[in-house]
Amino acid sequence: MRHLISALVTTVFSLAALPALAGGQTDAILDRHVLPKMQTLAETTAALDTAARADCTLEGVALRSAFGTAFDAWIAVSHLRFGPAETQARGFALAFWPDTRAMTPKTLRGLIAAADPVVDSPARFATVSVAGRGFYALDYLLYDPEISALGTAAYRCTLLRAITADIATTAAELSRDWSEHYAGLMRTPGPDGPYQSDEEVLQEFFKALTTGLEVNADLRLGRPMGQIGKPRPLRAEARRSGRSLRHVVISLKSLEELSDLLAGQDADLAARMSHGFDTALARAEQLEDPVFAGVATPQGRLRVEVLQQAITAIRTAANEDMGPALGVAAGFNALDGD
Amino acid sequence: MKSKLLCATLLVGCAGTAAYAVEKAEVINTYANIAQAAYGDSAATAHRLQRAVETLIAAPSAENLQAAKAAWRAARVPYQQTEAFRFGNPIVDEWEGKVNGWPLDEGLIDYVDAAYGGASDENPLAALNVVAQPKLSIAGREADASKITPALIETTLHEADGIEANVASGYHAIEFMLWGQDLNGTGPGAGMRPWTDYASGAACSNGNCDRRAQYLKAATDLLVSDLDWMAAQWAEGGAARANLMQNENAAVSAMLTGMGSLSYGELAGERMRLGLMLNDPEEEQDCFSDNTHNSHFYDGKGIQNVYLGQYVRMNGEQVSGPSLSDLVAETTPALDQEMQAKLTTTVDALGRIKIAAESGLAYDQMLARGNAAGEALIMGGVDALIDQTKTIERIVTSLELDQAGFEGSDSLDNPNAVFQ
Repeated sequence: MRHLISALVTTVFSLAALPALAGGQTDAILDRHVLPKMQTLAETTAALDTAARADCTLEGVALRSAFGTAFDAWIAVSHLRFGPAETQARGFALAFWPDTRAMTPKTLRGLIAAADPVVDSPARFATVSVAGRGFYALDYLLYDPEISALGTAAYRCTLLRAITADIATTAAELSRDWSEHYAGLMRTPGPDGPYQSDEEVLQEFFKALTTGLEVNADLRLGRPMGQIGKPRPLRAEARRSGRSLRHVVISLKSLEELSDLLAGQDADLAARMSHGFDTALARAEQLEDPVFAGVATPQGRLRVEVLQQAITAIRTAANEDMGPALGVAAGFNALDGD
Repeated sequence: MKSKLLCATLLVGCAGTAAYAVEKAEVINTYANIAQAAYGDSAATAHRLQRAVETLIAAPSAENLQAAKAAWRAARVPYQQTEAFRFGNPIVDEWEGKVNGWPLDEGLIDYVDAAYGGASDENPLAALNVVAQPKLSIAGREADASKITPALIETTLHEADGIEANVASGYHAIEFMLWGQDLNGTGPGAGMRPWTDYASGAACSNGNCDRRAQYLKAATDLLVSDLDWMAAQWAEGGAARANLMQNENAAVSAMLTGMGSLSYGELAGERMRLGLMLNDPEEEQDCFSDNTHNSHFYDGKGIQNVYLGQYVRMNGEQVSGPSLSDLVAETTPALDQEMQAKLTTTVDALGRIKIAAESGLAYDQMLARGNAAGEALIMGGVDALIDQTKTIERIVTSLELDQAGFEGSDSLDNPNAVFQ
């Protein structure tokens, strides 16, 4: 990951002298983007858990459909990795990816081989490695030919239900933390809170936008693309459930919504940003390569690279156009480093 | 005086900074002096390690293996303090992987326990075992490894097949050669490689002792030459120093970028919280030697060094000078106090991990599932690092390192992020 990430290190600098846009963005972002999407995540993960309780067959149509709907809801908020998602590592508990050392299959094999009784208690299951929890563990358990056949059906069922219950609980806590606590801290910044000014709040959302774009370009697309001559199609995100490209599309749509709300009353800025998203989404729809298997050939890789370039262009526009307009800079993010 | 001289020769660069009593050029000079001293100490301690390794190979014994391990531990002290220089300086970041690459699939290098497994989806060379094989096949190509040399390690083995887990050189490869795998999981104990892995004739354990010694020697020689090279880049006239002097605002930004990126994404995230969340004893940076508590502590110390403009050398001398702290205090003393307090909090929190580790609770034991006390220790460090990053961001804003400061600078990793 080192080379990949060294290109991602986001440099900080300030534009304190520039005025922020007219206010109101924070309320709009919270009320029209963050809170409703968190609510959807809580509801769809509860439905996923209900489906697992109703039918433990890993191939079950209702279960798989509920998994897809809940995973969609997570991807739509997967750029909001600060605050409530950082608390108790909820973001990682829901979504441990990329898994550069194949820890998810290793952890699941370990639990199943030992028939580890940790699955019997929700409180104890919450102490299990994040590699064995969350949506990406389910991607293996439901769809990987090897993992989905390991051990006994009874243990797999208990494990499945432990994971779905844990996801539902974590998502409910995440949503509640946002609505009952963290949204208030962002609406009223001050010396005792995590944000001292409206600018710092806007910077947080701006960082979520730019980091989200980075994740799409450099991880969701960049990991399977690999280097020229060394494609890594097996590294595509959630390829077992065939969701790799879908995740890019869902994430871009959600990031476009955030970008639009960040632009606030500056309609020209919103339109310029929107143009970049439209280009990227159009290219994604033309790709017709759901798990980026095409990267194995030079032509296929090029098609994915064209999408990657479109996303990188949005990131450049965010940094060069939107950042100065908001009076904020990119700051540090979790992708800095190895 | 020095800055006035610089102003006389570099009129353009001085115009914007004339109002400061603390000159940015002096602050940058202190920073470069600390880098020069810390990389110099890293190279000097690596030379000591090299002598200890040569002694071990010439006269294999438990004592000489122990002496080599002690030299390795000492070498980590100055090196970890240089890590705060990595992210702001591309010349360091591009070079760093061959010196401090981690985590590694050690089966590439030497024998491993059966539980390690073999080739994986992510890395077909995970269990290559160069020590046991004079002829290698890497990504469909044959490679001659009949003699293990620094060149073989550097050009053929390191990051073989473009996979970063194939770490063949640097501190952690040498650490593996000295300690071997830590097979104790999250229980007590570090790697237990027997000294007889380097013995000759019938006393040789685990086979290929001569080739294993070649590997250890070659990897250590490579580390020494890499560190000598980096130390030279920070001397007067060196490329790293010259690059910083091109543009003052970019240089100050590089200092803060190094502090923030190491604090947040790298140390708090990748090296500390991730291991905790995975309960994985291999997710500790010095996983063979159980020296992780020191690596984290000296990372934190190095970040503080950069801000305060202070560094304690291996011979006890102190390097110091006008600092970022002075620069911030001049315009926003409250922000300087906030930064100093948070850096102290972090060093204290990392110090608590070191205290527990040196009292017998190794870092990998802290990672065990359900170890609440260990988790609290590590999260104390993580939270402090995240908190200090926020203040670093405030300083970037407060110093008004405006866009003009970045034009034409090579100091940034990502040109796309620069406001033109």
